[in-house]
Amino acid sequence: MSGAVAVRRRAIPGALVWGGIIVGAIALLAVLGPWIVPYDPDAFSVRNRLQPPSGTFWFGTDEFGRDVFSRVLAGAHYSLAMGFGATALSLAFGIPLGLIAAFDRGWLSEAIMRAVDVLISVPPILLGLLVLAVTEPALWKTVVAVGLVYVPIMTRIVRAVGLGLLAEDFVQAARARGESAAWILAVDILPNAWPPIIVETALRITFAILLGSALSFLGLGAQPPASEWGLMIAESRPFIEQAPWIGLAPGLCLCILLIAVNLLGEGLRELLDPRLRGRG
Amino acid sequence: MADAPLLSLDALSVTYATGRGPLAALQDVSLAIPKGGAMGLVGESGSGKSSVVLAILGLLGEGARVTAAAARFDGHDLFAEAPALRGRRIGVVFQDPSAALNPALTVGSQVAEPLVLHRGMSQEDAAARAVSLLSEVGLPRAEAVARAYPHQLSGGMKQRAVIAGALACEPDLLLLDEPTTALDVTVEAQILDLLEGLRKSRGLSLLLVSHNLGIVDRLCDDLTVLYAGRVVEQGPAEALLGVPSHPYTRGLLGALPRADRGRIGRLVPIPGGLPDLTQPDPGCNFRARCAFAEPACAAPQVLAPVRSGADASRLARCHKAGENLIWPVPDEAVRRHRGEGDILLAAEGLSRSFALGGLLGRLSFRNGIPRLAPQAEVRAVDGVTLSVRAGEVLGLVGESGCGKTTLGRLVLRLIASDSGTLRFAGELVPDKPGAAFRRRAQIVFQNPDSSLNPRKTVAEIIRRPVTLFGIARGAEADAEVDRLLELVRLSPAYRGRYPHQLSGGEKQRIGIARALASRPDFLVCDEAVSALDVSVQAAVLNLLDDLRDRLGVAYLFISHDIGVIAHVADRIAVMYRGKVVEEGPARAVLAPPYHPYTEALLSAVPLVGSSGRAAARIRLAGDVSSAAGAGGCPFAHRCPRRIGPVCDTVVPPVLEPKKGHRIACHLPLETLAAVPPALGWA
Repeated sequence: MSGAVAVRRRAIPGALVWGGIIVGAIALLAVLGPWIVPYDPDAFSVRNRLQPPSGTFWFGTDEFGRDVFSRVLAGAHYSLAMGFGATALSLAFGIPLGLIAAFDRGWLSEAIMRAVDVLISVPPILLGLLVLAVTEPALWKTVVAVGLVYVPIMTRIVRAVGLGLLAEDFVQAARARGESAAWILAVDILPNAWPPIIVETALRITFAILLGSALSFLGLGAQPPASEWGLMIAESRPFIEQAPWIGLAPGLCLCILLIAVNLLGEGLRELLDPRLRGRG
Repeated sequence: MADAPLLSLDALSVTYATGRGPLAALQDVSLAIPKGGAMGLVGESGSGKSSVVLAILGLLGEGARVTAAAARFDGHDLFAEAPALRGRRIGVVFQDPSAALNPALTVGSQVAEPLVLHRGMSQEDAAARAVSLLSEVGLPRAEAVARAYPHQLSGGMKQRAVIAGALACEPDLLLLDEPTTALDVTVEAQILDLLEGLRKSRGLSLLLVSHNLGIVDRLCDDLTVLYAGRVVEQGPAEALLGVPSHPYTRGLLGALPRADRGRIGRLVPIPGGLPDLTQPDPGCNFRARCAFAEPACAAPQVLAPVRSGADASRLARCHKAGENLIWPVPDEAVRRHRGEGDILLAAEGLSRSFALGGLLGRLSFRNGIPRLAPQAEVRAVDGVTLSVRAGEVLGLVGESGCGKTTLGRLVLRLIASDSGTLRFAGELVPDKPGAAFRRRAQIVFQNPDSSLNPRKTVAEIIRRPVTLFGIARGAEADAEVDRLLELVRLSPAYRGRYPHQLSGGEKQRIGIARALASRPDFLVCDEAVSALDVSVQAAVLNLLDDLRDRLGVAYLFISHDIGVIAHVADRIAVMYRGKVVEEGPARAVLAPPYHPYTEALLSAVPLVGSSGRAAARIRLAGDVSSAAGAGGCPFAHRCPRRIGPVCDTVVPPVLEPKKGHRIACHLPLETLAAVPPALGWA
């Protein structure tokens, strides 16, 4: 950047630091999982069935004597893939569709938005089921299904933000220069639309993780013996009174991941919004 | 005044806790309002005007520390009893009537509420009293208004209702915080008349907070001028505005474009901005901006009589207040064109309607068969013909909703017209014009906060049109950016800044630099100075004047402020409900003969130092949104000089008292020429 007045970078927001550390740690564990698990996550051990947490089995064992800690570690990548993969998919379709719907005031916008209305009116879990029920369940299909479920929501949010920005005078100034639609959307609209989109993305990631887990819980996502957290919770149900740790461990991990992702989103928004930076 | 004043504040100080330390919003503010008196509190944004109002009401909240040597209201300790006094003995009216009324409750219930709350009246009695209050503030059909919801009333009616609510408990003092700033000038005049009347009929005391010296002059006996939290001057309004003493007040009056003076060369620009209130200057806090500052100004200044012994009521916080200080005014540049060039832009019969409601709103069922109702439309611009010559400034005035902004966008082809033609430099401009037209015709916006992309630096913002239109590239483009910054009087140090690091006036200059970057011949200035404080506005107006004179740029200057238009325009067009009702050279339009609407508009303008104008005032009933017939004169329904049905049904003929001065009216020219001049000059 040229010019005498350098823009002072503000201190990185605390929310970003903490969210980043936790999400980073979970991601690291998910990657390293296969090498650092103390036990084979899928190995049965009849002798060690339903053991409570102890020095040997940190999170206890389940009804087949599998180590819950190992299974939670090995399952982290499912949730991360679900959350980030599905959300990336919804952004990839939602942002262009939303921007087009905001910019075009004619039949194209109308067509996009009415399709969005129809899809939003169907409960997400039902829509996910609809996509999944017709084929053999598989993790990647769940990711695609959850991603598609959130495309209309993303579209609507991007359009709302875009409509607000299109009314701003700097967009009128761009039109007065005869700038193309693509330039206006890419330079004037999208960079200013990021803060709300990022907050929404963080929220969507958490919902996607939850929806993915819910679909696995219903038996339409990851298949046994995979240690997907939602599936683990589903499988722990019969033992909730004798061995609550089986469901509690993946539940708590899910909870921590969701909070961390939200912190990350909030921190990113703060960092990216120049209006929140100090006056020079 | 032998009586003890109704309200007296002695050395009121307010400090806000902020992230950067305590902010001294008010320092030792003293003022007194006698029973039945009216005090005006003037100052630019950030001067602390509203803090005074909130401090009197005891509504400043946790973060503020309020101290005062004494604060008394009719013998009571103001701060100890503020919760008991506000709403009962002290009424308040804020700026935006739309925000002051709850949209979910009827107007009548909101006027009646304080009566039930403070006076313990029954619902029925309070409702009946509310109706009589609503009619006292001049609302016709008060029963119907009481049953209406706020969205069903116009802005002026809402403000009347808010005033009725403030009067409900028969207060002794009415606090008015910018009560007419959100209203059109003809409606503002109605509200000022109402307040003047209430003051007489009820013996009310008023504290009027405003940035507008004209309305303060009309309504108030005494004036307090606030600058950055300190009282800089105090005294009787007429004497103070007639011969101001403090350099700030003098500068403020010199910066004000005045409708009754017309073009007067350049305005007084007060350089700089408000000082940092977290580090209050023990000396004069205006000295950094003052043209008469000297080393002695660093010493603490006291609010003292202007001339010792002469008149104790006139106080100023300046050791040079007694001297005859005249602000330097920049020289006028030599004007390249005098608006006598060829016609640059010519619009003929431009029209544009906007549809109301969407497709589903029009869908209705009759006998179970769905039908599509005809589209409801608003004709925002209705067959407007106008032209702008090279280097000429055409001022476009009118009240909100008259279509001036739409017209500004139409002549730039930012929105498509339904009918009519547009020619630029003799050539027909198509609906989607090419780069040549875009380069030559640019726009400057009203709101400096929304006109710049917050994610781009100043250099990026200005550079884009330079490279887009191929004016320069690479290092040459950077040099061009510096040249443009210099043109709008900003140093190259601004290149790397983001819009949020600039003040309002600086942002507006960047907006102007961006518009000039393509080296246009024609600029639409859409309320380009309306969002700025007077001292900043003067600097930007001077800049626009200079650019016109030096570069020969023609402007379509859109404004609701007659003073600004009278200052900058060579010719003026007056718009009402989408039509141009009068058009001509500035001097001709501002003097009789007038179109009746122009006459009403001009006589509604609050002028500084002409309290004797009251006799000649024309007042309009209602406002622009009032229902109108179709086909005839657009102004017929509000016109005080309406002849009869002919006005409603027949399109008025165009009278031409002088060459180039056109008035669309049924009245004979002799009648129009016989009216007294509304601005005091013929």
